[in-house]
Amino acid sequence: MLSLAPKADVGPIETALVSVAGVQKTYFTRQAPIQAVASASVDVARGEFVSLLGPSGCGKSTLLMMIAGLERPTAGSIMLAGAPVAAPRRDIGIIFQDATLLPWKSALENVLFPVRILKLPIEAYRERAHELLKMVGLAGFEHKKPGELSGGMRQRVAICRALIHDPEILLMDEPFSALDAITRDQMNVALSEILETYRKTVIFVTHSIREAAFLSDRVVVMGGRPSTIILDKAMPFPRPRRFEIEETPEFTEICRELRLTIEAAHGHGQPASGGTGSGKLAGAGASNIE
Amino acid sequence: MAKATIGTETGAILPASGASRFRDGAGLSRFLLPLGLALVVLGAWQFYVTVSQIPSVILPSPVSIARYIAARYDILLMHAIPTTLESAAGFLLALLLGVAIAILITYSTMAREALYPNLIFFQLIPKIALAPLFIIWLGVGSQSRIAFSVFIAFFPVVIATAAGLLSVDRGMLRLCRSLTATEWQVFTHVRFPMALPHIFSGMKIAITLAIIGVIIGEFITAQAGLGYLIIFATARADTEVSMAAIVVLCICGLLLYGLVALAETIANRFYSADSR
Repeated sequence: MLSLAPKADVGPIETALVSVAGVQKTYFTRQAPIQAVASASVDVARGEFVSLLGPSGCGKSTLLMMIAGLERPTAGSIMLAGAPVAAPRRDIGIIFQDATLLPWKSALENVLFPVRILKLPIEAYRERAHELLKMVGLAGFEHKKPGELSGGMRQRVAICRALIHDPEILLMDEPFSALDAITRDQMNVALSEILETYRKTVIFVTHSIREAAFLSDRVVVMGGRPSTIILDKAMPFPRPRRFEIEETPEFTEICRELRLTIEAAHGHGQPASGGTGSGKLAGAGASNIE
Repeated sequence: MAKATIGTETGAILPASGASRFRDGAGLSRFLLPLGLALVVLGAWQFYVTVSQIPSVILPSPVSIARYIAARYDILLMHAIPTTLESAAGFLLALLLGVAIAILITYSTMAREALYPNLIFFQLIPKIALAPLFIIWLGVGSQSRIAFSVFIAFFPVVIATAAGLLSVDRGMLRLCRSLTATEWQVFTHVRFPMALPHIFSGMKIAITLAIIGVIIGEFITAQAGLGYLIIFATARADTEVSMAAIVVLCICGLLLYGLVALAETIANRFYSADSR
């Protein structure tokens, strides 16, 4: 469990580790019920990196929270390794948009936080924590507190924290959207490097087309009103991926296809025939896509 | 490239040294200015008393008060001890009660809805008016003064602690929930440490209120204590003694406040966001 050796022989991807079938989520508010997810079905194989891509408010984060067991679907089923998800599980690591670190704890102690909560032997994990921090380029920063780290560094600590207890699945909810564009590009490269060492099944929520295309094995596009899955596309780029692939014509072509799919579902800047109000709203949603 | 580096270096060094010189000056004046002002006021007081020949029953001079304290420190100390101990007891009980109520308010919606409006209403009562009732209920011993001190001091602890416990970052709570943390783990690892700065600010208000509570209790009925000494001496037109007792009371208050501040400094070694 504590092995840090790269898992080179993952073998062929065959079983669906995460299986989302006909999931629907409706929030019942005082005014009217809001349908966050109308219908979503998606399978994620062991070791696969799948992005949920879509404009703000398309229900992608809601779907992720349901997979994490932090929200319950209104209808449909979510299976994780053959068992239905009813509550949060220990074999999941989550990374949120904010690093959510304890401000009075050092980077190292923050990484060890899940170990304390899960009552695992601290000493056995201390070395792993050091190695993870070194892996993300934070060697020498182990004893710094979050206030002394940059936003990108804090998010790296959060990634180490999500990996410390060696979870099977990594759920990432727009983890880099609060970072500046340059840091974000660096984080994308760093993340794909980390995943080459620690192979994980990843579900990654983002509203950045390039980010999704760069990182993923498959990109699942969510959108439409009410929101459903409108495209499920494999990313054919070889691994390990380096930043140069973003300059290839294939990459540009795939990003174009993803963007057109989203625009087709939301109408890019074109007023809807009925009224300008809803058209503006849809345009605002689509323009959120980078 | 090299040019730019030098440029920024000098640019950085000059204002920095200027700023530090300014800060040193400010640090010096932080002690000298208030001390100087206090000395000027005391000097003016001494001068006025000497020149005007005002009777010491009305206004004793600072020098005569100091002389009395030096001569009769044994009597003053005898009275200072019960006042300080009762204040400390009242404060500690107020702290326990206040934190307990705050935890109840944080974790039980029913308790919050039932208690909170009542606490606010309770706070509107001029509590000093109730002091004589404590003597009727609990007698003339120290228990009535401690109880009244708790009664006066616990409220700021409740408000500050509850605010702290409820201010916890929602993302942090979600992370804990995703890790299947128990309520107790969330409390000990996240909520309580995050609430600590709030709790300490409540404690600092509570310690001064606790002393006020004891003094009022001693004003009403006591056989010893600085409040008793003040009332006793004033009744005998012994203003010098009364003033000396007030000076000692200030020292005791400072001491208790200092202990709270010390506890905060110790807690900060573990729970501060700044590096050690």
